Amino acid sequence: MSARNKPQSTTPEFRRAMRVPFIVFMALMALLGSNVLLGILHFKYAGFVEAGITGVMVLTVLLFSMELTKEPPIIRFFGALSFLWVGIMFTMTLVDYMTR
Amino acid sequence: MTAAIQFPVDIELEEQFTEKAQQRHAAKFGMWCWLVTELLLFAALFLAATVLRVMYPQSVSAAARHLKFWIGATNTAVLICSSLTMSGAIMASRQGLQKLMVRCMLATAALGGLFLLLKGYEYYEDYDEHMMPFLSWRPYALAHQPASTLFVDDYFVATGLHGVHLLTGVSIVLVMTWQASREGYLSRHQNRIEILGLYWHFIDLIWIIVFPVLYVVNR
Repeated sequence: MSARNKPQSTTPEFRRAMRVPFIVFMALMALLGSNVLLGILHFKYAGFVEAGITGVMVLTVLLFSMELTKEPPIIRFFGALSFLWVGIMFTMTLVDYMTR
Repeated sequence: MTAAIQFPVDIELEEQFTEKAQQRHAAKFGMWCWLVTELLLFAALFLAATVLRVMYPQSVSAAARHLKFWIGATNTAVLICSSLTMSGAIMASRQGLQKLMVRCMLATAALGGLFLLLKGYEYYEDYDEHMMPFLSWRPYALAHQPASTLFVDDYFVATGLHGVHLLTGVSIVLVMTWQASREGYLSRHQNRIEILGLYWHFIDLIWIIVFPVLYVVNR
């Protein structure tokens, strides 16, 4: 194989930088596995556990994959505010429907 | 093994900005503003599914049992893998590893394509099982449970909208891969990879919510 056709190697810096994305990947896969398991095993409060697991998955993507922790305060504020608004929308609507 | 070639990483200053840091910040902030509106759009569909679950639990469960749970789970895993390859593209772009970045982007597009293929097969199965109540010429399998129609329609709108976003994402990734494979790209437009990465991770995030809300909770 000529030198030109050989695969390009990564650098130690790249491998170091990929540590966090790789840990995030493993964590998301494990959490997905838990959600799949909950879809197979049915018990009384499975819905709440699933909601909790999904919340952790969303936070993981936001904070580490989308690197919200490294963003300036205005972007962090926007990100947090959007989920707060979604939370208000869900809470108010469900309170209405569940108390009818 | 050949040594990795590292190209200079920078951005070209546009005339409306005074400095590059300001330009980078404006680009990210603009993308985040748009993603927030997208989140609110999808949130309304998730809320509709949740309300239907509360109001008509039996009809929704009957409809959810027809959904292809394992295809949904596989697609979630596919998108999580694509997020890893997109993170790889971003990290490689930051370090000027152009070839590696291009390969990571191609892998991301391929995984996005795989997702769309699986989704297409799932829709075909739904059609085959008479689970498309909006088709007036085809009888609906759960016609005896009218409330299930609302949930199935919501499922098609949410997954269809997500599919459109993913198709757009794959197209943008492919166009940008073509652009990014040119010499000197990373020294002029590195931040475009970062912005694309944000969009891609957001598509992944939305599906991470779609899977439990539509497929898992209602079974």
